Amino acid sequence: MNEIIGKFAREGILIEDNAYFRLREMDDPASVSSELIVKIKSNGGKFTVLTSEMLDEFFEIDNPAEIKARGPLMVPAERDFDFEVISDTSNRSYTSGEIGDMIAYFNSRYSSLKNLLSKRPELKGHIPIADLRGGEDVVSIIGMVNDVRNTKNNHRIIELEDDTGEISVVVHNENHKLFEKSEKIVRDEVVGVHGTKKGRFVVASEIFHPGVPRIQEKEMDFSVAFISDVHIGSQTFLEDAFMKFVKWINGDFGSEEQRSLAADVKYLVVAGDIVDGIGIYPGQEKELLIRDIHEQYEEAARLFGDIRSDIKIVMIPGNHDSSRIAEPQPAIPEEYAKSLYSIRNIEFLSNPSLVSLDGVRTLIYHGRSFDDMAMSVNGLSHERSDLIMEELLEKRHLAPIYGERTPLASEIEDHLVIDEVPHVLHTGHVHINAYKKYKGVHLINSGTFQSQTEFQKIYNIVPTCGQVPVLNRGVMKLLEFS
Amino acid sequence: MMDYFNELERETERLYEIARKARARGLDVSTTPEIPLAKDLAERVEGLVGPEGIARRIKELEGDRGREEVAFQIAAEIASQAVPDDDPEEREKLADQALRTALAILTEGVVAAPLEGIARVRIKENFDKSRYLAVYFAGPIRSAGGTAAALSVLIADYIRLAVGLDRYKPVEREIERYVEEVELYESEVTNLQYSPKPDEVRLAASKIPVEVTGEPTDKVEVSHRDLERVETNNIRGGALLAMVEGVIQKAPKVLKYAKQLKLEGWDWLEKFSKAPKKGEGEEKVVVKADSKYVEDIIGGRPVLAYPSEKGAFRLRYGRARNTGLAAMGVHPATMELLQFLAVGTQMKIERPGKGNCVVPVDTIDGPVVKLRNGDVIRIEDAETASRVRSEVEEILFLGDMLVAFGEFLRNNHVLMPAGWCEEWWIQTILSSPKYPGDDPLNLSYYRTRWNELEVSAGDAFRISEEYDVPLHPRYTYFYHDVTVRELNMLREWLNTSQLEDELVLELRPEKRILEILGVPHRVKDSRVVIGHDDAHALIKTLRKPLEDSSDTVEALNRVSPVRIMKKAPTYIGTRVGRPEKTKERKMRPAPHVLFPIGKYGGSRRNIPDAAKKGSITVEIGRATCPSCRVSSMQSICPSCGSRTVIGEPGKRNINLAALLKRAAENVSVRKLDEIKGVEGMISAEKFPEPLEKGILRAKNDVYTFKDATIRHDSTDLPLTHFTPREVGVSVERLRELGYTRDCYGDELEDEDQILELRVQDVVISEDCADYLVRVANFVDDLLERFYDLERFYNVKTREDLVGHLIAGLAPHTSAAVLGRIIGFTGASACYAHPYFHSAKRRNCDSDEDSVMLLLDALLNFSKSYLPSSRGGSMDAPLVLSTRIDPEEIDDESHNIDTMDMIPLEVYERSFDHPRPSEVLDVIDNVEKRLGKPEQYTGLMFSHNTSRIDEGPKVCLYKLLPTMKEKVESQITLAEKIRAVDQRSVVEGVLMSHFLPDMMGNIRAFSRQKVRCTKCNRKYRRIPLSGECRCGGNLVLTVSKGSVIKYLEISKELASRYPIDPYLMQRIEILEYGVNSLFESDRSKQSSLDVFL
Repeated sequence: MNEIIGKFAREGILIEDNAYFRLREMDDPASVSSELIVKIKSNGGKFTVLTSEMLDEFFEIDNPAEIKARGPLMVPAERDFDFEVISDTSNRSYTSGEIGDMIAYFNSRYSSLKNLLSKRPELKGHIPIADLRGGEDVVSIIGMVNDVRNTKNNHRIIELEDDTGEISVVVHNENHKLFEKSEKIVRDEVVGVHGTKKGRFVVASEIFHPGVPRIQEKEMDFSVAFISDVHIGSQTFLEDAFMKFVKWINGDFGSEEQRSLAADVKYLVVAGDIVDGIGIYPGQEKELLIRDIHEQYEEAARLFGDIRSDIKIVMIPGNHDSSRIAEPQPAIPEEYAKSLYSIRNIEFLSNPSLVSLDGVRTLIYHGRSFDDMAMSVNGLSHERSDLIMEELLEKRHLAPIYGERTPLASEIEDHLVIDEVPHVLHTGHVHINAYKKYKGVHLINSGTFQSQTEFQKIYNIVPTCGQVPVLNRGVMKLLEFS
Repeated sequence: MMDYFNELERETERLYEIARKARARGLDVSTTPEIPLAKDLAERVEGLVGPEGIARRIKELEGDRGREEVAFQIAAEIASQAVPDDDPEEREKLADQALRTALAILTEGVVAAPLEGIARVRIKENFDKSRYLAVYFAGPIRSAGGTAAALSVLIADYIRLAVGLDRYKPVEREIERYVEEVELYESEVTNLQYSPKPDEVRLAASKIPVEVTGEPTDKVEVSHRDLERVETNNIRGGALLAMVEGVIQKAPKVLKYAKQLKLEGWDWLEKFSKAPKKGEGEEKVVVKADSKYVEDIIGGRPVLAYPSEKGAFRLRYGRARNTGLAAMGVHPATMELLQFLAVGTQMKIERPGKGNCVVPVDTIDGPVVKLRNGDVIRIEDAETASRVRSEVEEILFLGDMLVAFGEFLRNNHVLMPAGWCEEWWIQTILSSPKYPGDDPLNLSYYRTRWNELEVSAGDAFRISEEYDVPLHPRYTYFYHDVTVRELNMLREWLNTSQLEDELVLELRPEKRILEILGVPHRVKDSRVVIGHDDAHALIKTLRKPLEDSSDTVEALNRVSPVRIMKKAPTYIGTRVGRPEKTKERKMRPAPHVLFPIGKYGGSRRNIPDAAKKGSITVEIGRATCPSCRVSSMQSICPSCGSRTVIGEPGKRNINLAALLKRAAENVSVRKLDEIKGVEGMISAEKFPEPLEKGILRAKNDVYTFKDATIRHDSTDLPLTHFTPREVGVSVERLRELGYTRDCYGDELEDEDQILELRVQDVVISEDCADYLVRVANFVDDLLERFYDLERFYNVKTREDLVGHLIAGLAPHTSAAVLGRIIGFTGASACYAHPYFHSAKRRNCDSDEDSVMLLLDALLNFSKSYLPSSRGGSMDAPLVLSTRIDPEEIDDESHNIDTMDMIPLEVYERSFDHPRPSEVLDVIDNVEKRLGKPEQYTGLMFSHNTSRIDEGPKVCLYKLLPTMKEKVESQITLAEKIRAVDQRSVVEGVLMSHFLPDMMGNIRAFSRQKVRCTKCNRKYRRIPLSGECRCGGNLVLTVSKGSVIKYLEISKELASRYPIDPYLMQRIEILEYGVNSLFESDRSKQSSLDVFL
């Protein structure tokens, strides 16, 4: 492959790394290189460095409809941002890893969710588990799930616990509707139960989640773009697609209609995995293009730095970023991402965090818990993360299952509880786009800018690459950059 | 030899008789000893899995067919027996029995797989209503090995046909379930030896004519759930092993037997059997360096040499009397120098296998080192090594590794070029037509004692010239490790001075070339001094300037007056693996008696403490007398003498204080402060041991294992010959035990004569002997005070144990092997004949297993104590093999070399990399002696050693208390060894040990369980109440300490060595994560507040 470099070198042209890698990926790098050299030479040959951008120009020259000169955007000269951080846990990690913190953490979860549940009229009369007595009267209790399992006769047992005691709740399989509903119950979520106490059991007649009310749709006179899982630094990062996306958002790419949509974008939300990180999985070093975490964020700064400065970018870490792995994750630390921090229009927040974008409450969460949800609940899968989000919203918790793949830090307060119902829930992690409007809430998973990895190949996961959802004044639109 | 076996059997019978008498007292769970004796494979099979009487039929069939054929035949015969009304349940039982018996035959009736690896066999229904056979595999099928697991599937098919069932017709979802399970198993559980592609699994799953299914083995759920015919939604590990590591991986063998038996429907296996064909057109085999063994570098286990690196261990062919069966020889000076190698330490090696055990052999080359003062010396004995160790600046060459031909054969590794060595040189002379028949050099003597032969450089050249043989190895240096140019530079330097008594040279950079060549020299007053012989050899060899060539030795041979051979054409890379071990087996906490006392005895499970409470309530099984209804813990009713019946276990109130008091009186032991019991019985019947046994064990300071036997574990090492001196037993005593002549046929008179070890005699470690002395005293106390019989052993010192019988038993097996104590070693190992280890299905690459005093096992072992859970009967002496027949043991031992020297052809042909099987014609090994009297005697060795256990007895890894010190020493060593790159060792330790460990622990920390300090109950998630149901305190199961265990040392390494920045950054990020988990931002802020 060094013959490419040699070829250019002999003509006195140096190749930038990115351009080199792109060339290398092409079907016939040698003849493309020759063509390029001819073109460069015929243009007067004053180039000394061949950049990736120049490649774009050379290859898109045949398709002039796509490319317009950088024209003035239809953007108000001065923009007013009504941006507010409602919840951010960065620098607010109060755990010291003691067992007391753990007790506090789960009690915080229990009491927040119990609070929500007890507001439901059906659960007004709930009593502590320790106070349960036998009898024919219907009782109601609120508890955290210890375990869910099926009996030999295929009934379901839910072990519930509150701060006073434990009880086994039975869901009969003849109660088809309830039995089906109970399939989605997972460990460590908090539910309410109506039922009758029989012996050591409560036979359930109804089960309640904290749930969400249908919310009023929020008027918006601007657009928000959502991306995640960029994976800068990986060999499979789709730099071209990302550059096109940046061009688009800057108004330099796309159809007239697309460009006017770009002009309307006021916020860009990035839900984690900005870079591929280092040491995330065994053997990662073999799949990295940039083996240095600082350089990965520098490259991220270069790419995000091209985005016009009148867009506010909100960025949270994912499991690949250099934060701690336990959730909630503090914002990407400045010491690793100095040049990214020097971009004025980026806000660095924790995973998860809740922000108000000109009044649109947006809950941003990377989505690690989807792995556990997909494993634990029949019918849920990575492909349909919108359905998982729906469940999480009903459970009012972003990562209910403890002890599986999602590491949880025992913060004194459970920041993963969904206290306030957002207008938008934005996630990533699964690399597959998904969208659903559920009870007025926009559930968005923003896909990825990373092509299929070796790992995904093995598991037959087909990512949606370079597809960007944009919430255009309340309407979801999907743009494709590939 | 027959006398020997008969003697062993007579003695066994004597012990059995004592045990019978003792058990007949009815004080135990049963009235007879529970370990059946088996003389051969057939009897072992019957003893292990039955059915009754099958041994006779196996023996009948054995006459004219191979073991596999016998297995198939037996399976068909058992399964197709007549059943009244063809009762399906009965038929199912027969099929189950048939498969187990056949698998037991295939696995020599030793491993637990036939009992534990097959959960059950069922006859199930296809969706078209036809009936088929389903085999439920369980995890322990692993112990059968791939071939036996594969054949058990084939046997199941044979059974299916024998009883007239249809084939299994899987549906799409069932097939896909296998595909998913294989992938999940590899990602969530562990890697399979072979990773099949999804289509390969699909093919196998759809074509295997019986259902390969099984019990759930891991708590990992699949997405193909709730299949009608698959009972579990979890991974079926046993089934996957049988399918993948069995049928798929061993496809050629399965196919071979399927064809032989004319079984139809297995032709699809041909897709898996594409044997890698060696290039038809006689291409030259190129063997590349293999770095697999250094892919993982573990903290404190040093890399001794990188793959095929110059200065690594030199391959030397041969077998010493203490090597073979994966044990390989290293010079004791090397062991002493490195300190990380002791007798029995495991090494991971580049070739011919994956691992070995280190044993000392001092007739091979030791290391060449450079000292701080610049001297380069050959170290030829352990004392010198330990004397100069602190002065060593660089280890230029590690010395030889003695590898038996059989090791290459066992691993089917092509032969590697042999190093030029004395024994080969001697043979070239002897075979030279110019060498006179009257043997002027007395080589017929030195042929096996080359270490005694000293040859001056002048003589060496004269011999070579006169008999037309290559130059003596001592004056053949590592020429191939330098270039022609370097040799010419060296030559010029040598010519700057004249050789007188010595050659004295001005100190110049060319000295490095001397070092690499391994030429000993001294440095004195800034001059390099080479002794006369080496200087003479060098000058004479480098007669003229060399012509340019990439092959230094070839270029050298064009100028040298005599032929120069390649000193070390094959270097072998190694790293230290598991340390050697010899230790009594203790469960944790270690009980003296299998008697349940719940939590009454505190965390130490102390029975006297529990007895202070008077009565306690525990779950326990009791026996009832059917005639007088008296309940007891004996097999014979204490009141009327009838045989009792053991009832269902249950929570019962027992007066422990009274029981203990009575027991102590029974055996006349006054007061013992500590007699440890168990919290609860893990057996199905929960029937306890008599308390008296605990009292006597406590009195003698011995502990029991889960099956009521007392065990001592050691690393296994092979031994075929020994001297009375090295095992510490007198000539007289050995003569009494039948060792009347040495291995050369001379009368035994002297402590240093070499004796051939009888195949069931063992040399135990001194530590083991001391423990067995206490066990013997316990057994005697038991006989005298509990069973009211005569004392038997009456031993006072370990020497008194010589001649007594033991049982050897390996983990994952269920058949013990009878052995006899013949001596002692200071090494942390148990030496026994390779047959003995193979009979237990062990080899000697750091496997370890246990010995029991035979009478202890006969008196105290009971199946009823074994856990009822899966795997419970593994590592239990369900049967005792009394006689070793090499034909009926693991065929690994058939590769043992039995030659007194390596044939010249092996050395010469080794340069063409032949397959070991291609040179078998000149090899003598056990395989060729099977079935003949020579299988027991005359197994010779080619390399002697002055002591089988010379050199360090404990490796440095075990001596250094902290990981920091271990790693420190590891890195210091890396700095010294020429064949090791220090930086990549540091990176390796970080990359494959410390970083993954920390990452894993951080993850584990954030999803950990909690545990009660009082009752040990575990909670997946902490209860909201914050305390245990029992009211006890809850604590974390993953501590902060375990998370940060390696953080400091990693940081320190990263700061001291120029390691890859990638690793530096990983450490930094980990540290950030750790701090974020363990330091509250509030405390950080408040400390800042002070300054703001």
